[in-house]
Amino acid sequence: MEAIIFYILAAILLIGTLCAITARQAVRAIVYLVVSFFALALMFYLLGAPLIAAFEVIIYAGAIMVLFLFVIMMLELESPEKLPKPRLSDWWPALALVVVVVGALAVLLLSHVRAVPPGFTDIPVRQFAYTLFKQYGVAVEIVSMQLLFALVGALYLGRRK
Amino acid sequence: MTLTELYCLMPIVITGCAALFVLLCGPLLLSSSLTAIGVTASAAAGIWAAFTAPAPIQCIPGLAFTPLAQLLIPLFSFAAALTLLLSHGYNERRILKGEEYPATVLFALFAMCVLPCATNMLILFLALESVSFAFYILVSMDLNRAESGEAGLKYLLMGAVAAAFTAFGFALIFTGSGTLALSAALARPENRAIISAGWGVLILGMAFKLSLVPAHLWTPDVYQGAPSPVAAFLSTSSKVAAAALLLILLGHFPPMTELRVPLAALSVLSMVLGNLAALRQTNIKRMLAYSSVAHMGYLALALLTGSRDGYAAVLLYGAIYTAMNLAAFGAISSLSFEEEREQLTDFTGIGFSTPVRGGVLALAMISLAGIPPTAGFIGKFFIFYSALKGGIVPLAVVGILSAAASAYFYLRVVAQLYMHRTEAPAPKPVGFAEGLALCAASAAILVIGVYPGPLLEMVETALR
Repeated sequence: MEAIIFYILAAILLIGTLCAITARQAVRAIVYLVVSFFALALMFYLLGAPLIAAFEVIIYAGAIMVLFLFVIMMLELESPEKLPKPRLSDWWPALALVVVVVGALAVLLLSHVRAVPPGFTDIPVRQFAYTLFKQYGVAVEIVSMQLLFALVGALYLGRRK
Repeated sequence: MTLTELYCLMPIVITGCAALFVLLCGPLLLSSSLTAIGVTASAAAGIWAAFTAPAPIQCIPGLAFTPLAQLLIPLFSFAAALTLLLSHGYNERRILKGEEYPATVLFALFAMCVLPCATNMLILFLALESVSFAFYILVSMDLNRAESGEAGLKYLLMGAVAAAFTAFGFALIFTGSGTLALSAALARPENRAIISAGWGVLILGMAFKLSLVPAHLWTPDVYQGAPSPVAAFLSTSSKVAAAALLLILLGHFPPMTELRVPLAALSVLSMVLGNLAALRQTNIKRMLAYSSVAHMGYLALALLTGSRDGYAAVLLYGAIYTAMNLAAFGAISSLSFEEEREQLTDFTGIGFSTPVRGGVLALAMISLAGIPPTAGFIGKFFIFYSALKGGIVPLAVVGILSAAASAYFYLRVVAQLYMHRTEAPAPKPVGFAEGLALCAASAAILVIGVYPGPLLEMVETALR
């Protein structure tokens, strides 16, 4: 049962992302990306991480993508940009990467070492919060300082003379 | 957290609170009082760190006041205080208003104070990225000059790629060792391959931060575009912070033989190409950028030895390089008025028309060239001494030869300052703050050059 759901989600995820990078209009690309984020969130849920699934929906699909939509609407882009067709030489790096990925997959499949997936452990919110704010509390503080100064910098640089 | 633990982390608290205070009260205060607050906070953090005994245990999870922090926090604070003093007059001349500038400098200092205190890789990475983040903003601070914004964008794009590399490297090391804690992150033999891969990617990311060849291309453009005081801070503290990160990691992991070849290649390419490219520059800021590429090559050479002597030489050189480059960029910034004074020909006869600022620039150049009795000689001496002692003779010879060749372009600036007289009017005098900063930097160069004993002792304690 879980395997079937996983494969359906994986198909949605791949198709959604593929459509997102090939769409010519930015708004469509974003909607496709949101779809693939939802599939990814469900996948996290299947892996036993409901909290991360919720974050994925709230933060990525919800906040960040909606922000992108707002920005694009504010910019009022009329027609999609005409991009030049990629030349043959532009394909080489991508092909090299594909070869690497396929090669790595082949090595894994041929090595006959079947890794047993670890047991399904549910992580309660309390434990998650404890780890995040106690063990890595300093990291949260540093990140919040960094975000504050990102805001300050953006406001300063965006100021009109 | 008890009171003693809070005492250990006081430098971080002071700088963080000062950054927020400047941001909050900025609109109500004069720019001179903002500078004063920033300088006071930096000095307080530095003095506190210098006179607090290092604690061996973690204060709060992820942070500990290590012996390395006891050396580096005063060094970073010195650089930040001098930068604020230098930029006070500079920003007034350039009409750069606002509390954002001192607040961001203090934020950079805050992140720099966190970095040597980190006891796990996550904090280490976040601290390094916060330092870079502050510099993305600082580099593009000058809204009146298009080059400043351009430099900021270039630095941001390059820095983002470098950050991705660094994060990937940390992630691979974490995969191999199974823990983020530095003290427990010993390479397990069965995961050797994945940890080596992590180190390889990490070294690439750090090559961007240290601007080692072939990841150095951003350096000249960013130094040229950035306001001069920012270039002073960027070329010193951010480089020392990146070197400190490598030192912390190398100190916790057993020496890895597979790192030798990539580090040696980075080091030799940086030393040779950096010095050769600097020979051809006519813009003094670009020349200093290529010279910093070469100097980071010397640092990589000392890192390569993997010995205690080598690591001591890295810290010593970091401190000395901070003093030298603060003096060099400080002199340039105090000589810049409506426009940046950056072409080599603009400096003709400056040594006669403004003896103090010209003298500081000449002293910085002589020290960068490594001529005794300046601090630059002591630094280079220990780097090459540790390399020869560590058995990497061919690289040390290449380094010594390229350092000898570099004397040409440093002394060309000195010749430009003193060999010709000029008809151009003398530059206007500058305020007390900039004078103080220039005096402090040149005093540091001379004192370390003549009497390096105390600094050597501090470096020895830091590595214990």
